[in-house]
Amino acid sequence: MISKLIVYAAYYLKSSDAYNKSKKAVFDLLENQRSPWKSYFDMFMIGLIVLSIVFLIYDVQHDTGAVGDYFEHTVLVVFVCEYLLRLWIYSDTHIIILQEHERAQYLNIRFSILNALWKAIVKKLEYIVSPFAIIDLLAILPSYRPLRILRIFLIFRLFKLFRYSNSAKLFSDILSSKRFELLTLLVFTCLLIFIASVSIYLFENSVPDGKINNLFDAFYWAVVTMTTVGYGDIVPYTTAGRLVAIILIFTSLGILAFFTSILIAAFNEKMPVLRENRTYAELERYKSFIIICGYGRVGQEIAALLSKDKQKFVIIDKQEQNVDLARKHGYMVIHADASKNEVLISAGICRGASTVLCITGDDVTNVYVTLTSRYLNKDVRIISRVNFNENVNKLYQAGADHVIRPFEVSGLLAAEFLGQPVAFEAITGILQNQTEIVMETLLVAEGSSLENKQIGQLELGQKKLTLLGVISANPIHLKHKNKYQVKQQHFYFNPEPEFVLRHEDMLVIFGRKYSIDHFRDQVEQSRLLGRKSA
Amino acid sequence: MKQVAVFGYNRLSYEVVSRLDPENYRILIIDLDPVQIALARDNGLETASIDFRSDEDLKSIGIGSGIDTLLCFFDQDSDNVFLTLSARALDSELNIIAIIDSPESAEKLLAAGANKIIDPYEICGRKIHDMLKRPDITDIFDHTVFGQHDLHLAEVVLPENSYLENSYASHLELSAKYNLILIGIVNKQISDKLHFVVEEFDRRLSVGDILVILGPAREIRAFKRDVENEFCKV
Repeated sequence: MISKLIVYAAYYLKSSDAYNKSKKAVFDLLENQRSPWKSYFDMFMIGLIVLSIVFLIYDVQHDTGAVGDYFEHTVLVVFVCEYLLRLWIYSDTHIIILQEHERAQYLNIRFSILNALWKAIVKKLEYIVSPFAIIDLLAILPSYRPLRILRIFLIFRLFKLFRYSNSAKLFSDILSSKRFELLTLLVFTCLLIFIASVSIYLFENSVPDGKINNLFDAFYWAVVTMTTVGYGDIVPYTTAGRLVAIILIFTSLGILAFFTSILIAAFNEKMPVLRENRTYAELERYKSFIIICGYGRVGQEIAALLSKDKQKFVIIDKQEQNVDLARKHGYMVIHADASKNEVLISAGICRGASTVLCITGDDVTNVYVTLTSRYLNKDVRIISRVNFNENVNKLYQAGADHVIRPFEVSGLLAAEFLGQPVAFEAITGILQNQTEIVMETLLVAEGSSLENKQIGQLELGQKKLTLLGVISANPIHLKHKNKYQVKQQHFYFNPEPEFVLRHEDMLVIFGRKYSIDHFRDQVEQSRLLGRKSA
Repeated sequence: MKQVAVFGYNRLSYEVVSRLDPENYRILIIDLDPVQIALARDNGLETASIDFRSDEDLKSIGIGSGIDTLLCFFDQDSDNVFLTLSARALDSELNIIAIIDSPESAEKLLAAGANKIIDPYEICGRKIHDMLKRPDITDIFDHTVFGQHDLHLAEVVLPENSYLENSYASHLELSAKYNLILIGIVNKQISDKLHFVVEEFDRRLSVGDILVILGPAREIRAFKRDVENEFCKV
């Protein structure tokens, strides 16, 4: 009967929207790294812990009175709530019960509620004995009056801080990565301390006026000597005892050196990972950025231009030398092979990346990275560089949106310069924004004052702007001459004054930067005003 | 006919040479590597096998006499600098275009006397940046001016006795008459600097001025023909 009731309750919980939602909300607050609530909660808890420790220290010599008591109680309530909530969200007891129940039904055996409950409790116990949970508990327990002696453990509240900061986790990761070495060292150290304390006890205990009266004294002396602290409150008197001391000192020097070198090596190994983690964390904050694969000469040029535009980007390169150079310039860089799926994924190709640039000097790498990127994200824009003309089609097949041939572009410019130096300077000047004259596009938005107007009515000449043409995908314009197919759209060069603009058309105009901006502002203003009056 | 000497036959020089009209240019390829020389000859180009380090050899192919333009397209920046220096000493009027591999060589080459520096990596970087920043305009130019479509940029020098002499730039009305767009004008009497039409609206044209125009090849040809014609006005 009871078991039926429990199973029914479990089903109820599983289907209850409110229950699942509230559990999810608590999870977001306490554990979900991506949730903004967690960072607020962490900050609040850090503040609370620090404040409670401050009270504790103040309390040693002063009487905090009722305020102190209230505060202590509040802190305690918060800690207990946190502990219980964490215990709650660690596992789903009702799910475990249901699983057991369904299993029993499937196998057609008797459902034992005790068995199921036991499994659920074991799961909860798993949490209770985890290091963080123990620290949490130790931070709460000393507040219980009969256990006042455990006040020392209130300091454990400081350890609770580790829960809210990533660096502590990193430190424990580093230590655990060298688990084997540290364990060996620990065993050896224990052995040494044991031998040293036993032998000093044997040699010195019999000495009249000797300081070593019991095994604990011997152990204390061994530890103080071994750590090279050497208070000098206990000293050996016999020759044999002094020999033990000499041997212990030399051995412990070796152990300390070994210990330090293990830690340093571990940190050194983790350093690149640490740096990369910071890069990933920073990338996660960006909504839109560019992934540059390859930081050669071309990559350097692009990175410099992009950083001038304040556009966010991340560089991936597998060559140490390039990575160092990028780091020196202060760019975000990942030292890895961009053709690996996980590298691109953790760089954010499926999350915030708008464009991938494959611009290494090697066509094989470019094709491979292009292929990988396209496979991972169907919509990302991919621009690739090709060094040999015969590979252009391979890159398009691999999924590149644009393929750049550096030698073709440069050759074209060189040939242009040879034949028509003035025209060359004009066009490169405009295209590369080296002059005050710029070329820009202006979209005819829906409801804009430009819509349904004839080109002649715009009086662009008076505004000191020159219209090069109109880009449009609208089939209504197809009757006009001078059209050039550009991808899915047409470019209407030098349209006649009777050309009527439709929405979604784009004007290609050139002129001084501020004339263009002024014109754009006017158009935008009239559009907003028009909407208001409508 | 212009005479062009190309030092170093590689992918870049191949691209340049293939874009130059053989009717207007006499091209001579010079390379130290016999394999490259053979390749150039296979492509139907005139070649010469000389040591660029010797002034006598340079003179022998016409530097200082017949050659108008020198392309220093060696892979090594130091070779290009050396060649530029030697050639500039032989001919102070020579038009020297050089490529660079590392950016710090640009100043050295300019100091050595090069007229124009081409940095393929920089150009490629700028191009990709342009694609990111202004994809529409880059697309248009790639397909038209730099691509297959018939839209070209041209410069037209105003000859003597042209009907356009002494007329105002604003009165040209190229877009209506020829379907051309006037981008800018170089007023030779004042400086070599290009003035964009949009900013200096009214300007009286004189002989020697260069008009930079954009339009289909047919219209450009028609305009060039008319410019040279004294009586076109009527």
